Amino acid sequence: MSKRVLVVDDSVFMRDIIKDIFAAGGFSVVGEAGNGVEAVEKYKELKPDLVTMDLVMPYRNGIDATREILRGDGKALVVMCSALGQETMVMEAIEAGAVDFIVKPPRAEDVLAVVKKVLGEG
Amino acid sequence: MAQWDTSRYTSLFISEATEHLEALSKELVRLEQGEVTAEAIDSLFRHAHSVKGMAGSMGFEATTALGHKLEDLLDRVRTTPTRFDRGVADLVLQACDALTAHVKAVAAGQPFPDAAPLMAQLVAATQSMRPGTTPLPFKENAAPPLVETTPAPESNLPPRWLISLKVSASSAQPGVRGFLAYKRLGSLGNLFRCAPSLDEVKAGKLQGGLFAVELETTETEANIQKTVSQVADVTLVSIEKVVAPPPVPAAEEARPESSPGDRVVGQEPQRTVRVKTELLDEFLDLAGELLLATAGVREAGRTLHEDARSQLNVSVDRLHGLVRGLHDKVMEARMTPVSVITDRLPRAARDIARRRGREIELIVAGSEVELDRAIVDELNDPVLHLLRNAIDHGVEPPEERRMRGKPPRGTVKVSVRRASDRVLLEVEDDGRGMDTERLKTIAVERGLITAEQAKDLPERDALLLSAAPGLSTATTVTDISGRGVGMDAVKRAVEQVGGTLEIISKRGVGTTFRLSLPLTVAMVNLLLVSVGDDVYGLPIGKVAGVVETTRATLAHSQDLPVLQFGQAVVPARELSALLGVPARLHDVNAACPFVVVETDEGRVALAVDALLGQEEVVLKALRRPLDKVRGLSGVTVLGNGRPVFILDVARIDAPAPHARAAGGDA
Repeated sequence: MSKRVLVVDDSVFMRDIIKDIFAAGGFSVVGEAGNGVEAVEKYKELKPDLVTMDLVMPYRNGIDATREILRGDGKALVVMCSALGQETMVMEAIEAGAVDFIVKPPRAEDVLAVVKKVLGEG
Repeated sequence: MAQWDTSRYTSLFISEATEHLEALSKELVRLEQGEVTAEAIDSLFRHAHSVKGMAGSMGFEATTALGHKLEDLLDRVRTTPTRFDRGVADLVLQACDALTAHVKAVAAGQPFPDAAPLMAQLVAATQSMRPGTTPLPFKENAAPPLVETTPAPESNLPPRWLISLKVSASSAQPGVRGFLAYKRLGSLGNLFRCAPSLDEVKAGKLQGGLFAVELETTETEANIQKTVSQVADVTLVSIEKVVAPPPVPAAEEARPESSPGDRVVGQEPQRTVRVKTELLDEFLDLAGELLLATAGVREAGRTLHEDARSQLNVSVDRLHGLVRGLHDKVMEARMTPVSVITDRLPRAARDIARRRGREIELIVAGSEVELDRAIVDELNDPVLHLLRNAIDHGVEPPEERRMRGKPPRGTVKVSVRRASDRVLLEVEDDGRGMDTERLKTIAVERGLITAEQAKDLPERDALLLSAAPGLSTATTVTDISGRGVGMDAVKRAVEQVGGTLEIISKRGVGTTFRLSLPLTVAMVNLLLVSVGDDVYGLPIGKVAGVVETTRATLAHSQDLPVLQFGQAVVPARELSALLGVPARLHDVNAACPFVVVETDEGRVALAVDALLGQEEVVLKALRRPLDKVRGLSGVTVLGNGRPVFILDVARIDAPAPHARAAGGDA
């Protein structure tokens, strides 16, 4: 059974790119969220195997959302999506419990390599 | 391994590796003297390990391989300390020297010396120490093991791993990648010592993407590997168990005396930066130039109208105060602990003693005392020389000592202490002492002094004959006097930095060489005098006084003019004649200033044309070819831009043919 992924990003355009990458890589994107609050709700509802999480989003940013998700499920695998120049925030997210990160604009092979490693398939 | 540019780390590698190797040999020698702890052995291991690691990062394969073999041997020593004997210690020191040679080769840009035979020896020694084997037939193995039965350190701490990681060069955010790997490993246990520092890792400042951490964990090696493998763009370069788990350098804690280089546990380490010594020299030069420039402004102001001048002078005074403050701070930054010299002594003492068949206990005290770096640099060789002399010629062979009722093991004590504004450095032995009568006899034979002079020569002056050039360079004398090779060089070096040498010796009891040193070298107070058309500076410290009188009223002793000075009579000389420069025509009935100075030969009154005043100046060392000129000790520039030679007052009265020749050109 393919791994179930939740994609969180406030940009629909970015979500589409990431969804396409996952689809091509044999993952199943089971849900999307456009902000941190939604992300936490969707996670509780869907219990995905992996979350990709944008850093900067309205209502609740990716770091807070990650913290909240991990508070509910200590084993949650959250991979941050960051742009160049957001290194400090990514490190903060890692401190908060994110397991890895991918850099935007996402390149298919990088994203897949990272999530496979995280899922122990790499 | 060396495909990325490691060159900018070269100087750091050289300085750090050198520090580790020096510490290794120093600690080994200390360990040999009986202060053995498991931590001390661990510390040796860690030094070797660090050097190996650094060499590996730099891509120096030969150095890495050698370091690895040394590390293996020390690891074995750790587990079987009873096998640690002098032979092993010798081998470790040899390896230490060979690694030092490698580091020097890096510094000089030369190929690494071949260490294959030594490596084979290290391997053989390591294997021979495997539990259940018999020790290698080392020479002089008759000596009992230096370590009694020190069990391998028992510990209930989890094992510690040294993990080297590499962040892929293609990684978009290498800093974050490295940090992620760090955090992941951290989830397995406790992390120690990240190299480079975590901040540098986070900033992505990784040489070739490499960094290393130590992890204390109960996890298996396989689990650690798996954890690293789950981090994208990060690969495991190496993983190995670190021997000792102590988080504090316990070996250093256990030491009774610690030099400032040693970190004392519980003490906040001072925040420091490394600065190239050349930079400090340049700072001092510039601060000195500023002082001179300030004096120049003041000088230029003399042409101004009085109102304007006094206004200017207020500013110049303030400027002078500030520059003086700056200069003081620069001087402070140059202060270096004497440990730079003394740290090398235990190793040197061991080598000399072994070569000469002496038993020596070296005691070093006060190595934390600080001196100007220039002085410390100059004293390195002289102090080593005094140590060599003390062991070579001072301390008797063990049999002879026994016969004399002394303990077979001689003691050499090197002590440093502050005494007001001076630093006293003493090298003291409990050996045979010096024979002043013989020194006098030889000095007379060589024509250095007359038989007459020899008879009345005070003890301390007679002892100083051993440092007279004509005596000390003669090897035949060395054997008789027991002192001397290069003693004149020692004396000269000490005086060059503004110090004095004193010798205290008692036949059969021992000898003490006492160096009295200034804290700094660069500033000197001068009495400026004119002779003919030239201006010369006499260090105020060497001036006993000034007497104004006419040449016609001088008394004579043995046809030579003498001057009454206080209760004594001192020889009077024309400074122009001593320097070989043309003198002004002078009227023997005109008043003339005589400056009474302290020379090596006693006080001498120097007739000069005029006294020009006193000035505090920055001393600059003479460069070639002027440094060869006898009679001159330095040069400075006055506020008006005029260069002034500073006279080597201590030796001014000695026959100086070179000074005469050069003085004419000056």
